[in-house]
Amino acid sequence: MTLLDKDPVLPAEPTPADAARTRRRLRLSLGRYTGVVVALAAVCVYLALTQPIFLSWGNITNIVASNSVMLLLALGATFVIISGGIDLSSASALSATGMVLGLALQAGVPAWVAIASPILAGLVIGLVQGVLISYVKISMIVVTLGFMSILASFALIVNSGATISVYGTPGFEPIYEFVNGSVGPVPLLMIFDAVVILAAAFVLRYTTFGRSLFAMGSNPEAARLNGINTAMVVLFVFLIAGLAAGLAGMVSVGRLTGAAAASDPTVLMTAIAAVLIGGTAFTGGEGGVLGTVIGVLFLGVIQNGMTLSEIPAFWQGTVNGTILILAVGIAVLRDRGIRLRRKAITTKVG
Amino acid sequence: MTDSTAPFIRLTGISKSFPGVRALDNVSLDINAGEVHSLTGENGSGKSTLAKIVNGSHQPDAGTIEIDGVPMVITKPSRALELGIVSISQELTLAPSLSVAENIFLGRMPQTRWGTVDWDRCVRDTQAVLDDLRVHVSPHTMVRDLSLELQQEVEIARAISTKARLLILDEATSSLSEAATDRLLEIVEEQRDRGTGVLMISHRMPELYRSCSVASVLRDGRLMGTVPLPETPEGDLVRLMVGRDLDDYFGTRDVTPDTVALKVTDLHTLDGALLPTSFEVRRGEILGVAGLVGSGKAELGMALGGAIPAEGSIEVAGRKVTITNPRQAIGSGIGYVPDDRKGQAILPNRSVAENFALAWRGTLSKLGVLRIGQEAKLVRDGMTRYGVVAANVNVKISTLSGGNQQKVVLGRTFARGCDVFVLSEPTRGIDVGSKSQVYALLQEQVSAGAAVVLISSELPEILGLADRVIVFHRGSVHAELDAEGLDEETVAAVAVSGHPQTTAA
Repeated sequence: MTLLDKDPVLPAEPTPADAARTRRRLRLSLGRYTGVVVALAAVCVYLALTQPIFLSWGNITNIVASNSVMLLLALGATFVIISGGIDLSSASALSATGMVLGLALQAGVPAWVAIASPILAGLVIGLVQGVLISYVKISMIVVTLGFMSILASFALIVNSGATISVYGTPGFEPIYEFVNGSVGPVPLLMIFDAVVILAAAFVLRYTTFGRSLFAMGSNPEAARLNGINTAMVVLFVFLIAGLAAGLAGMVSVGRLTGAAAASDPTVLMTAIAAVLIGGTAFTGGEGGVLGTVIGVLFLGVIQNGMTLSEIPAFWQGTVNGTILILAVGIAVLRDRGIRLRRKAITTKVG
Repeated sequence: MTDSTAPFIRLTGISKSFPGVRALDNVSLDINAGEVHSLTGENGSGKSTLAKIVNGSHQPDAGTIEIDGVPMVITKPSRALELGIVSISQELTLAPSLSVAENIFLGRMPQTRWGTVDWDRCVRDTQAVLDDLRVHVSPHTMVRDLSLELQQEVEIARAISTKARLLILDEATSSLSEAATDRLLEIVEEQRDRGTGVLMISHRMPELYRSCSVASVLRDGRLMGTVPLPETPEGDLVRLMVGRDLDDYFGTRDVTPDTVALKVTDLHTLDGALLPTSFEVRRGEILGVAGLVGSGKAELGMALGGAIPAEGSIEVAGRKVTITNPRQAIGSGIGYVPDDRKGQAILPNRSVAENFALAWRGTLSKLGVLRIGQEAKLVRDGMTRYGVVAANVNVKISTLSGGNQQKVVLGRTFARGCDVFVLSEPTRGIDVGSKSQVYALLQEQVSAGAAVVLISSELPEILGLADRVIVFHRGSVHAELDAEGLDEETVAAVAVSGHPQTTAA
């Protein structure tokens, strides 16, 4: 029976421990993209050694051009996922906006109207979805699942399921030029991609809207209680996703010189996979544009490599799915590893 | 205390740390069969952590556990149950959409020889347990249709029905009325007489002195002593628990309450959780708001912060304001800190800087573009001013201790420079050192002319800080008391029964 009656020593604020932990964290988080970048580099080295054509400028620009549509959709998905949401309608929106452009070109509208049409269509799609989610308060999964179905069907209805060929229509010339032209050796599309990437990164990092997005994804209730108009943020997120789908629709029509009525079911999965492979958390509040760019590049290079190596395209889904699970799995294990190690150190010191 | 027989459970040198907090430091104690052992201490002293180590929810970083003299590792809660260790905690663990009977036999449904659930026996046995405890509910009732108090009794019935060898009551009486507390203590004594060991976590003196034969006191995670009850005088026990001059702990302020900063008239919610409530708070004044869980005190905070819809009139600094969402609350000059830090206040996977910068949302930008440099400076100043300790402003807030997280949350609210601060459980789950710093920050704001509504479940905190105290019971204010010379029993009596008692129970 002991009676200790000393003055209590208030536990000092845990400066050294916190500091040490932070140093460890920083060192590890510097390599947040390490896994994917190393894997990407390894694949590139392998392809460069086995397929001499891989490193040719022509092939590189081809990879960029053929992944521009995916990049745009994935950037839209990045905004949605960071805010803690999910958009299942993006691939269908791509088909729908492409068909809108196809119809417009077929009707012989001037180029500027044609260019505006898929973008406007995308914004309207985003607006309606945003309003249904934010103000009618229907669950995001339900709304975007519904739109996935409606928009895919819309794309089939408008031209009875047939592809619209736009080659030779009066308004198509500038779109074709934009998608296939280049400044010197640099394709216009590559410049466009770079501008979109920078703009998206700027919005996420340096605007109040970007902050609100991360805040909502991290803790929606805390965001709301601190005065963030969460309904408005969701609306804007869907406007951005719609804009991305509209731009993607235009690039897609430009590349195919036609609007495909049937949507490709793998597009949605690949766009979301690219975002997640790039380290954006599926639960929201974490991630960024750089990661998504790396994710899109990774999947694009793999696809290119498979084509060059003459591996049947049927394998694409298996490879993409495996990469997705591996990338996210490694990230999860790494996070857990950090925690375990931290715990071990605390125990030893304490 | 050397017995020839081994105690039911013996803890030796138990230590446990959480990121930034040393929750338990070399704690040793014995719990004997047929004994009610009290574990007491202030909130945050490590009582619940110790209980969670015994029931397998946490693993100790160091130390050993012996049961019947045999060293044991209690790897998980189900292992504890196998060993006959059953907890009843302050948080209910019932499944609301299942019946009382299903809840009581959750995870151990009696089976027929065909392997199907033996519903007859389930209902019959439930009825027997309920009768034994004199709880008058039907085994078929859905748990969510029961009052909080009846739910608590179902939880107790479940624990009793498992034939526990060690019963852990973790603040189990905190949401019970006096009559229900009485009945629970009777049950505890009955179980004790049948040879069950009981670990009772509580800081309510009357309960300790009524049922316990020995008390172990924790403070800041260390065992301050194990003393016999009821022989040890109350004063000695309190000194062991608190161990410091209370005035020093809560800090002081030198300010005379000035003009009315917040005037609330008939504020109420439509769901009836908050019935029409009226009060005033002056500049330089702290109004303490006490009451049990579910009494409406939390809803008062939420209504003032715009977190839930409410009706009634609110005036801030003489201006009538409308508050239907958090944005309007902030715009009206009310800074609200919610009670659930993790769920409602912090952005867990964002940096300390971003969490702090929520304070200047919208005011530190030009056409939607952030003024990053200016913001970084304000964040650094704010962290220094509000005593946030972090390696740098870019670490995730979730890596900080609870106390430092809370200082970020309070700091960013104070940084808004509001007329009125509504703080709900501002020191929940933070260590004693941080608490004292939070109190100092609060005193500073009040001295500078802010009005504070302090909603807290910790009576010592309310009595140590407030000028006046209002006490909620079942949705409305049942007493307004001057904090001068007020004691915990008086406030607790109103909170539990709705009216002041002439004799403290």
